[in-house]
Amino acid sequence: MAMAQMTQTAKISVDLKVLGPILALVALIIVGALLNGNFLSAGNISNVLSRSAFIGIIAVGMTFVITSGGLDLSVGSMAAFIAGLMILVMNGLLPSMGAGWPLVMVGMVTAIVAGTAAGFINGFLITNMRIEAFIVTLGTMGIYRSLVTWLADGGTLSLDFGMRSVIRPIYFDGILGVSWPILVFALVAICGEVVMRRAAFGRHAAAVGSNDQVARYSSVNVNRVRMMTYVMLGVLVGIATIMYVPRLGSASPSTGVLWELEAIAAVIIGGTMLKGGFGRVWGTVIGVLILSLIDNILNLTDGVSPYLNGAIQGVIIILAVILQRDKKAEG
Amino acid sequence: MKFTTVTAAAMVAALAAPAWAQDTKVIGVSIPAATHGWAGGMNFHAQEAVDRLEEVYPGLDFVLATASDAAKQVDDIEDMLATRNISALVVLPFESEPLTGPVQAVAESGAWVTVVDRGLAVEGIEDLYVAGDNSGFGTVSGEFMVSAMPEGGDIVVFRGIPTTIDNERVAGFEAAIEGSGINVLAMEHGNWNRDDSFTVMEDFLSKYDKIDAVWASDDDMAIGVLAAIEAAGRDDIQFVLGGAGMKEMIARTRDGDAMIPANVTYPPAMIATAIEMTAVGLTSTAPVSGTFVIGSVLVTQENAAEFYYADSPF
Amino acid sequence: MSGTGASNLSLSLSAICRSFGPVQVLHDIDITLAPGEVHALIGENGAGKSTTMKIMSGYLAPTTGEVRLNGTPVSFANSQDAEARGVVLIHQEFNLADQLTVEQNIFLGHEKRRGLFLDKAAMRAETEALLARLNCSVDPLARVRDIANADKQMVEIAKALSRNAQVLIMDEPTAVLTEREAETLFEQVDRLKAQGVAILFTSHKLDEVKRISDQITVLRDGHVVSQGVASDYNEDQMAEAMVGRDVSSLYPVREGEIGSDLALEVAGLTVPGFATDISFTLRRGEILGFSGLIGSGRTETMEGLVGLRSASGAVRINGKDVSLKSPRQAQAAGLCYLTEDRKGRGLLLDKGMRENLTLQSLPDFTRLVIDQGAEDAALTQAIEDFDIRAPTREVAVGNLSGGNQQKLLIAKVMLADPEVVIIDEPTRGIDIGTKQQIYEFIHALSAQGKSIIVISSEMQEVIGLADRVLVMRSGRIEGEVSGAEMTEDKIVRLAMGLSAQKEGAA
Repeated sequence: MAMAQMTQTAKISVDLKVLGPILALVALIIVGALLNGNFLSAGNISNVLSRSAFIGIIAVGMTFVITSGGLDLSVGSMAAFIAGLMILVMNGLLPSMGAGWPLVMVGMVTAIVAGTAAGFINGFLITNMRIEAFIVTLGTMGIYRSLVTWLADGGTLSLDFGMRSVIRPIYFDGILGVSWPILVFALVAICGEVVMRRAAFGRHAAAVGSNDQVARYSSVNVNRVRMMTYVMLGVLVGIATIMYVPRLGSASPSTGVLWELEAIAAVIIGGTMLKGGFGRVWGTVIGVLILSLIDNILNLTDGVSPYLNGAIQGVIIILAVILQRDKKAEG
Repeated sequence: MKFTTVTAAAMVAALAAPAWAQDTKVIGVSIPAATHGWAGGMNFHAQEAVDRLEEVYPGLDFVLATASDAAKQVDDIEDMLATRNISALVVLPFESEPLTGPVQAVAESGAWVTVVDRGLAVEGIEDLYVAGDNSGFGTVSGEFMVSAMPEGGDIVVFRGIPTTIDNERVAGFEAAIEGSGINVLAMEHGNWNRDDSFTVMEDFLSKYDKIDAVWASDDDMAIGVLAAIEAAGRDDIQFVLGGAGMKEMIARTRDGDAMIPANVTYPPAMIATAIEMTAVGLTSTAPVSGTFVIGSVLVTQENAAEFYYADSPF
Repeated sequence: MSGTGASNLSLSLSAICRSFGPVQVLHDIDITLAPGEVHALIGENGAGKSTTMKIMSGYLAPTTGEVRLNGTPVSFANSQDAEARGVVLIHQEFNLADQLTVEQNIFLGHEKRRGLFLDKAAMRAETEALLARLNCSVDPLARVRDIANADKQMVEIAKALSRNAQVLIMDEPTAVLTEREAETLFEQVDRLKAQGVAILFTSHKLDEVKRISDQITVLRDGHVVSQGVASDYNEDQMAEAMVGRDVSSLYPVREGEIGSDLALEVAGLTVPGFATDISFTLRRGEILGFSGLIGSGRTETMEGLVGLRSASGAVRINGKDVSLKSPRQAQAAGLCYLTEDRKGRGLLLDKGMRENLTLQSLPDFTRLVIDQGAEDAALTQAIEDFDIRAPTREVAVGNLSGGNQQKLLIAKVMLADPEVVIIDEPTRGIDIGTKQQIYEFIHALSAQGKSIIVISSEMQEVIGLADRVLVMRSGRIEGEVSGAEMTEDKIVRLAMGLSAQKEGAA
């Protein structure tokens, strides 16, 4: 290969890769603003950002898993299971502890501990038992989904009414008009970006995803890096669940359905490579916003049959990814 | 869980008492898995009916299978026919078209067939059809809207997962409100899901400055809608009409919550009706064939207590 | 396979120029490959050998100039087109599907069929015949990922033969072969030559060039600087033509003092399946050579030593007992291993030089976050110390030449500041000019008091570099040679188990 040519195309593709998702996001914002005057209202922006928070927090963790060459299909079910568990624990302790912040704290700790454990189980099976990530997480996906169905007896697990008013502010309140989910999402995203770009862990994750043999020969503890990505994702699923439960105060077998695919889609739209080796947290954030905005814009406009929502979403996802490809993608 | 205990019990019984096991008739029950609130209630009632009827009729044995999609349900029915030698099948089809062939095969084997809720694509296969009245559900909902808003007004409508059921309900609703001065601002699919309808309602609230009422058409969706309204702090919406009779919502109607003045039943317990009638048909001479329509009833504060089932998860 | 059948072909390049963007890499190249002749194409990395071979075999089109087959200008649509006409290139980076078997690889893309189905029996028979012809004992049913590099080379050649190649172009066929395996290859080359096949090959091993070639073309910076009958050249003349300066003193003179204290003591090291009861010592500032045939367990022994493979045995570093269960522990104890497989295990080819350089010692650059300024400074230092030549600092290291990759790999390992460094095949596939530089680096490191183990399949390299040489055979140390005893003959005898006297073995 001639070096001069390689570096040239590399430069162009880098620019496109950086700009692609941003261009798609800007285009969506312009379209939204043209279609509906309320699109740029503070209320609507706050709504979109808040609802992006669940998928967004999870997708930040997913970015690390995918960057290190892994995959986690279980996060949607895991979120539903953790939500169910959190509600059951809080309902169960309500008579003894009473409705108040101590009980909320217990619920939060439950979610984080359960998330850590779930991530650890995935990571353990993948790294120590050497089972394909796809199979492990497909398995745990089914396990968590049916566990929450079982816990809910097929119906819905609802937080006791007494607790709801106590816990509600976690989703609906905030500081200076910015709601907690947005703040937490922003914090997670910023930390994720710093860790990915500037911490040894992020560099190691990319090295493992790029070529795990090279990482191993370079004294990187490959198994531990992989394990940590899954544990970190589990913790973030726990945090997302802490934001989710206060919104409706319930969990059911339909909670978190397809979140895993949305999170993976957001990660890929953002420019992280599905085969691993390169990850970009800020891109993931943009990917999440693109997905949320598509839904929001479709809800705010008339004239498109709701039957076609999925098709429009699919087209925009594919376009966003095409935008970041090299023009000359030859075999 | 309970499915295994039932089959295990049946096997133990078959081994312990082969003399009368031959006379035992097996009724297969095939229903969709509990993936949303209404289906959860339906599962509860099916399980409860099976447990109760096994006590009542020693000569009857039940096989209950829940399926997470239409293909799995076809497998379940084929297995029942092949391995359990069922005398009757009670089926709530996931979808009409794919289930028609397998159910027809059961009917042709000579077994009794009871179809619940969703009709099959070919008429005349089933011996008994226990039907919910989707069109009536829409009509009752629409009529309530008209009576509650005599001056007319602007509403938004939440639809379920795109299916025949949803289409029939909406058609019934639209026919009932025609000419009443009620104006539908927008319809969107909330997929009988709380999270989805929460999001859609948030966007409706951004889009429209004034909404007089909401036809949520389902209690799960109504919960999402109510949460969004509460969060936005909007007081222009006078009420939200859900449906299907979730006990939490029935209780709020009973207790006089102005936002939830009424409910429209679409009882998940219709599966129990079907199982029970099938059992009667197999064990007695009482005629039970034909079509049995379970109408949708308007629940208001006055009669809400009658529709509150404390034990049901739904 | 080919329509041209068994008729012999001559291939010639006439006034070939090739540019990539604004950069012209080939200038007026004229080469003729005649039937029954072996033509050696030699030059430093980056001289244009690869591009020349790719143009010959249809992977690249010339910018100007003509490719002629039997005197008729041709324009290959692609490499398949060239193969169909009897011109086959065997890549240095094996072009084999790792997950497929030897037999499946040989027939990949031109499987024999009987009706709709594969004719497995015929393919098996032909595979066995081809491998027998190559004197290669590999199992046709073995997966390619599981076989040795030397066998992969043979499979590549078998693949070309199965396509009835009349012009065979081989890119460094002996780079991964031991001398004995290379000799087998040369016998095969002689046989093909007798059958009238035109052969072009490249090699950095000038003795091989001398051994088998009839014609020689020397490239430098994209120009033919010398061309003629092989018998007119000696090795020094070839090297001088390639490098453009005098390289007769390839190995530097030993300057550093060998210390008296022991830096590394290994006793009874056993790597299950690969090496048994390996014991040796290494003094401060010493360069210890490890020789032996490919497959004798040299690499596996060292991988076991640094914790990359499970192993048992006692290890002392600077007189202290250490337990090395992972490369990280070994590194912390001051012991690093530099892999022979720089592309597969040494460097992240899709990452830049900075990320690669600091990967092994990232904790040293990290407090809470990575200090990128310090990384950049380290890269600047490494580029200067090891004379790494890259078009830009950001270039993906996969686009660097082999020699520069190797320099970066050495810089990367040395950045971890080991006391003892094991360098496996320090100059595989590297041109003579860069080789000389790398030998100088190794000597400089030993002069700084580093203790170095060099594993090499090149006998001359071990002899030229090392103070002592341990020879391995079948997973055991067969013997040790030092001083005047360090001769090729002595080492080969030990490596092949021919030596009557086994002295010094642990």
